[in-house]
Amino acid sequence: MTNSECKSCPVHHEAHLRALGIDMSRYDFVVALAGNPNTGKSTLFNALTGLRQHTGNWPGKTVARAEGAFAFGESRYKVVDLPGTYSLLSTSTDEEVARDFILFGKPDVTVIVVDATRLQRSLNLVLQILEITDRAVLALNLMDEAGRHGIEVDVRGLSKALGVPVVPMVARSREGLPTLLQMIDEVATGAYRCKPRRLKMERRVVEEMVCSLEEKLAEVFPGVPNLRWVALRLLEGDQSMMEAVSEGHLGAYEALPESEPEEVLALAQELRWQLGTDFHDELMESIFSEAAKIAGKVVRMEGKKEAFSLDRAIDRVVTSRLWGFPIMLGLLALVFWLTIVGANYPSAMLSGLLVERGHPFLRDLFLSVGAPAWLTGLLIDGAYLSAAWVVSVMLPPMAIFFPLFTLLEDFGYLPRVSFNMDRLFKRVGAHGKQALTMSMGFGCNAAGVVATRVIDSPRERLIAIITNNFALCNGRWPLQILLATVFIGAVAPAHWAGVISAAAVVGVAVLGILFSLAVSWALSRTVLKGEASAFSLELPPYRPPRFWETLYTSFIERTLIVLWRAVVFALPAGMVIWLLANVHVGGLPLAEHFIRAADPVAMIFGLNGVILLAYLVAIPANELVIPTILMLTVMHLGMEGVAPGQGVLFELEDAQGIAEIFTAGGWTLLTAVNVMLFSLLHNPCSTTIYTIYKETGSAKWTALATFLPIGLGLLVCLLVALVAG
Amino acid sequence: MLSGLLLVPLLVFMPEKGLWTRWRRRRQNMLRVWMEDALKALYNCEYKGISCDVGGLAGRLGISQDRVLQVLQKLRDQSLVKTEGEQVLLTRLGRSYALRIIRIHRIWESYLANETGMAETDWHRLADLREHELSMEEVNALAGRLGNPVFDPHGDPIPSATGELPRPKGMPLRDLPEGKEGIIIHLEDEPPEVYAQLVAMGLYPGMVVRMLEKDDKRLRFEAHGEELLLAPLLSSNVTVRALEEEDRVFDAGLSLLEVPLGEEVEVAGISRACRGQQRRRLMDLGIVRGNHIKPLFRAPGGEPTAYDVLGASIALREEQAKHIFVKRIQNDK
Repeated sequence: MTNSECKSCPVHHEAHLRALGIDMSRYDFVVALAGNPNTGKSTLFNALTGLRQHTGNWPGKTVARAEGAFAFGESRYKVVDLPGTYSLLSTSTDEEVARDFILFGKPDVTVIVVDATRLQRSLNLVLQILEITDRAVLALNLMDEAGRHGIEVDVRGLSKALGVPVVPMVARSREGLPTLLQMIDEVATGAYRCKPRRLKMERRVVEEMVCSLEEKLAEVFPGVPNLRWVALRLLEGDQSMMEAVSEGHLGAYEALPESEPEEVLALAQELRWQLGTDFHDELMESIFSEAAKIAGKVVRMEGKKEAFSLDRAIDRVVTSRLWGFPIMLGLLALVFWLTIVGANYPSAMLSGLLVERGHPFLRDLFLSVGAPAWLTGLLIDGAYLSAAWVVSVMLPPMAIFFPLFTLLEDFGYLPRVSFNMDRLFKRVGAHGKQALTMSMGFGCNAAGVVATRVIDSPRERLIAIITNNFALCNGRWPLQILLATVFIGAVAPAHWAGVISAAAVVGVAVLGILFSLAVSWALSRTVLKGEASAFSLELPPYRPPRFWETLYTSFIERTLIVLWRAVVFALPAGMVIWLLANVHVGGLPLAEHFIRAADPVAMIFGLNGVILLAYLVAIPANELVIPTILMLTVMHLGMEGVAPGQGVLFELEDAQGIAEIFTAGGWTLLTAVNVMLFSLLHNPCSTTIYTIYKETGSAKWTALATFLPIGLGLLVCLLVALVAG
Repeated sequence: MLSGLLLVPLLVFMPEKGLWTRWRRRRQNMLRVWMEDALKALYNCEYKGISCDVGGLAGRLGISQDRVLQVLQKLRDQSLVKTEGEQVLLTRLGRSYALRIIRIHRIWESYLANETGMAETDWHRLADLREHELSMEEVNALAGRLGNPVFDPHGDPIPSATGELPRPKGMPLRDLPEGKEGIIIHLEDEPPEVYAQLVAMGLYPGMVVRMLEKDDKRLRFEAHGEELLLAPLLSSNVTVRALEEEDRVFDAGLSLLEVPLGEEVEVAGISRACRGQQRRRLMDLGIVRGNHIKPLFRAPGGEPTAYDVLGASIALREEQAKHIFVKRIQNDK
């Protein structure tokens, strides 16, 4: 691979890249983008690639990946955005992904994005990367902020100290981008030869041990450029490195014939016993002390550090005893209000387009070409209608809620919410960030489950995933509001009806939060007791959110993915619903058989057979529950002239008409209350279940997250029915 | 009636003495467990250079002498041990068998310490159960994921996959001369009562101690700026070695928890009791000896606290902050 004759040839490792999910067939060079979180890495990525990017996950990992492309001069470049990490030496999945990519994918250039205002902190990662690769460019980002804070960086001195090109820039305004492209090209084509700084261990004895292992390695693998890194990894007990040595090939380099790779491992083992348990600590200390030395030479501060005082001032207000919680509740209420109010109009429009007009149009189209009635029913009344329903009810609120949420996140406010809420969540064995994933769950539980990726501790993340369903999602609010208005508001004095029904809905949502806390507490003390747990919470600097970028990415990454999954599940469910109402056995529809059999059991829980069946078939989306209940009730009672057709989902404009159907179906206040409770406490929708499985990779936790809420729901309904009866 | 109902699961699931645990122990072939335990005990005697007889074995294994004889007979049949007079010695085969069991035990302890939230005092007991259940392949795969640890959380070296183990080093704490400093390199985890007491005193491998005074009745020594007392008998469960000039020592007088808001201090180190992912995370964030850290502000409930570390604000809870040791910065000017 590294052909010493050809200095301008690519060095990346195609086969390994393919295993890491990167296809290089249409590109000349691959560029990896590495850096700490909150250094503007994704802004730079967007500036480099524009909209020529796509996002996904790393193969077999729940770590998001973005890749894109650009052309410069004669060459086409593929850009891979690595997860933002502080280090490459730990065992977290993010770091493993980044480390393996640089080590085995051998990118032609690694661009390390560094925050000029916090250079010393970033140098930790820089020094680690320079141990692995000698083809790197440092993008010294946020130079404008540094200027404002009176921080000056000696760019040439830094470049000299590190042995790689350093490009000062402001990614947000694309300042310095041409120079960066130029330097990427020069390093990729070999016009610029990096001479990266290599680490020295602080203690002489340790340094000697590392050297002796490096020498031993050189006997077996002569010519490998980064043997010191290999030695350090062996002393840290890195399994993949030990296997590579023992099999006799490091990347593309083969061990000398006749040599004994096992001797290297034996020496490493012996040295590790001598080093004791502190090697990792010592390594980190050496790196940080090197970073401090370099930063001390090249960074100059003008004036006092108080330049960061604006951030501190905002923090003092938003985390204060007096204002912290009111601001938080106010902002959340605003987000919900904007979502609910803002979603009405587009929802009505989509529903008019897809359901009221699109459905009859497609139906007529099918009939006019002579399609059999059953096919029209199955595909149009079943599959199409339920998918159209899901899209029109689900899309607008999510398309408003998620961008608003992402804007708050981008600004830096959301981590402060976690900070404020952490004490409460700590008491129940959870992480403060669960406040965020729970809020996200109010929009959509599937998105809430994906959002738990921000919780970087296994136990707390599982707790947040399993309890997310207790946050009353967007798809369940309409049912709560409808039943509260029709049944609970009706028993209250007329002028209080509005307030009391609203209070009932909020009460259910609050009950959900209480359940989420109680279940977190129980989980952390029982089934999840033995899971590992770690805590740290970064409060990033406040930055003005990037408005359009946020809209775009939150729409693509949160809204569309969830919507797509929901539609995929809604299509077959629509067919099932239609079949249940239209396939007759012994003169009755299948649904009727189920309803009659389930009725006596459901009555014990203060529900009825129709409701149970509706929850069973509407599992793809909670949005489908109301129309399914209406359709099944009308079918069950044999009501004429209400529904557009057997097995066709529908909803009525006025609440009174719905109330009449429900009352005719035998509903009482108890039924309504129990349906409201059961709507809060039942299995997550299939999209969420699937997402939980994807995120945890475990059937066990998925089953727990699915059945625990149903069990609780049935129990609560039973208790209410007993008390009421 | 109700309390009776509560008692049933307690009887079944009580740790150690519950029916379920007992049934589990019985289900594993008891004889094999005793054989493996005996091999382990014999290896320990050999490693420490003390002699082992039938009575000692019976004590360690918690079974009768007759049973020990029966177990030894079985071991002799398989050429795992040989007897010379009163003394029981391991054969080469027996030694490698024992090392295998010890490797499994210590890897499992490392796993419990680094990757789970199990309590420190449970590690040994849980590993004692698992060591008879896991195969060498499973353990090697587990070791790979853990970064192939070479020391267990008590400071004992872990035998390599090929069955090597370094020579023992160090001396019992009571041999440390008065006025001299030493580093704890090992805490014996058996018997569990003594180990629990040592842990409760705050001792851990890597801790620096200074012997103040010793006589037949007690040892008086200093650790973390605190004076501690220990009976000489217990002190044989603590192994130390003399402090060398280049040794990394951190002075653990002040924990980050005690630093008032706004005071910038220097990190001296992270306590050994903070392990695994949490420890590495703190270091990645820059909480490493020599770097500066400053408490900035607290959440409305008083916890967590945000700290300035190399220009970033990092919030930590009390249980992390208490493991971070710091030094006050001297104002020389």
